[in-house]
Amino acid sequence: MYSGSYIAQQFVNGLNLGSIYALIAIGLTMVYGLLRLINFAHGDLMMLGAYIGLFIVTNAFLPLGAAVVLPMLAIGLVGVLVERIAYRPLRGAPEVAMLMTSLAVSWIIQNGMIMSVTAQPRSFRLPPGVNQLHQMGGVSFSTIDILSLALAVGLMALLTLFVRYTRIGIAMRAASENLRAAHLMGIHINQVIAVAFLIGSALAAVAGVLWAGKYGTVEPFMGFLPGLKAFVAAVIGGIGVIPGAVLGGYLLGFAEILFVGFLPPELSGYRDAFVFALLLIVLLIRPNGILGASNEDRA
Amino acid sequence: MLQLDDLHVYYGNIQALDGVSLCVEEGELAAIVGSNGAGKTTTLMTISGVVWPKQGRVLVDGEDVTRLAPHKLVARGIAHCPEGRLIFGRLSVAENLTLGSYNRRDGRQIRADAERVYELFPRLLERRKQMAGTLSGGEQQMLAIGRALMSKPRLLMLDEPSLGLAPLLVERIFEVIDELHRQGVTILLVEQNAYQALRVADRAYVLETGRVRLSGPAAELIDNPEIQTAYLGG
Repeated sequence: MYSGSYIAQQFVNGLNLGSIYALIAIGLTMVYGLLRLINFAHGDLMMLGAYIGLFIVTNAFLPLGAAVVLPMLAIGLVGVLVERIAYRPLRGAPEVAMLMTSLAVSWIIQNGMIMSVTAQPRSFRLPPGVNQLHQMGGVSFSTIDILSLALAVGLMALLTLFVRYTRIGIAMRAASENLRAAHLMGIHINQVIAVAFLIGSALAAVAGVLWAGKYGTVEPFMGFLPGLKAFVAAVIGGIGVIPGAVLGGYLLGFAEILFVGFLPPELSGYRDAFVFALLLIVLLIRPNGILGASNEDRA
Repeated sequence: MLQLDDLHVYYGNIQALDGVSLCVEEGELAAIVGSNGAGKTTTLMTISGVVWPKQGRVLVDGEDVTRLAPHKLVARGIAHCPEGRLIFGRLSVAENLTLGSYNRRDGRQIRADAERVYELFPRLLERRKQMAGTLSGGEQQMLAIGRALMSKPRLLMLDEPSLGLAPLLVERIFEVIDELHRQGVTILLVEQNAYQALRVADRAYVLETGRVRLSGPAAELIDNPEIQTAYLGG
């Protein structure tokens, strides 16, 4: 059967893919929790982040860290702007209006990128040093794998501390439970929502750069499928709950790698079908997701 | 300190308030009583800025605060303890109280006020690390009142604080209201339990289908035969 090192290798791969899904899913779940909005444009912010990362990596006059920090800052601001311009005016409108708007924003960003940089995929080449392969007990991983994992886990740990202990973090949890009650308590809702978009978009940008580093190319439609899968991850984990997004992200990452690694080759091409089948099964058993609130305590 | 001036409020085409005027003086406990759908909650929601009136004004210390966002009213010292409590069930008791003081920056005073709330409701101190959703109905109501007090309000608005509670707890809640009143907190109390409300209030307003039907000192209204038949069961 499969050797121990093969299984360990799949585990490392799942961890890596899962981190990326988790980073994207966090933003989706925060926004959904506050506004009940499925933000279709979220994957496109990830793509924009990857392009900014590409620009920095190819014009290597900046240290590698800048390829993470600058996309975070820039895309964080883009996320705040999108909310301010496109979503805030629709607050209180039927949910479907905001949903359609997010689709429109998604297409505007994609088409804007096609017009400005063309739909031609570009290769995302990392500096040679970080692509170095390491072997450990038959498992191979590159420096970038380790850096990505450390970065993703570090950022999620920071976010956890933020949401748990800071004033605005507590306010964010309260607002996602009951927006109106939070408002009555004197919480400045627009500020909380802006912070959620800032953080969520910045994390999506990191995911974009990691994704580009992992697969080596960048193109204007690259955000669509990861965005969709991160949404699946958020739903599996329990949408609106941040730890749920992280859990769902890793579950999905592992599941996908397992399907590829252990299914017979003629089926592994259909891995996305298996991923969505997994969603259906989880939802049949736990309709609110694994960590999701049950309907009774949703006011 | 609070004055409502001819408020007209609509939900779509349905009129909820039809020219409500009332006032609450500094240090006073004013009660709004009336049956379901009379517009009591809408009145409080309008004061808080959640609902905007089509016509009329809300004045705090003579200053027009109509159409200000809710968080700005909290900053002006208006605290709203909403109907149904609306505590945050997935947050701890202590976190719920922290949110009550969201607009304040005076750290030391905030801690002192938290102590005061815990003194008023010792059960909350025992359960401060527990998720608020696991509290009993009475404890949740105490938490909701405590949370409102944490904003250091000049006016505390309580919407149906006795709703759905066992008689013994209703007694306890009214004791607390009375105690806060005696400590000098200005209170606007909305209640369906007219008898209890009139007993603790200084002044009362009777609301009927969006209008103030009667008003006056609570001690007089409690003896008013019309009130007795309509709201006090004989």
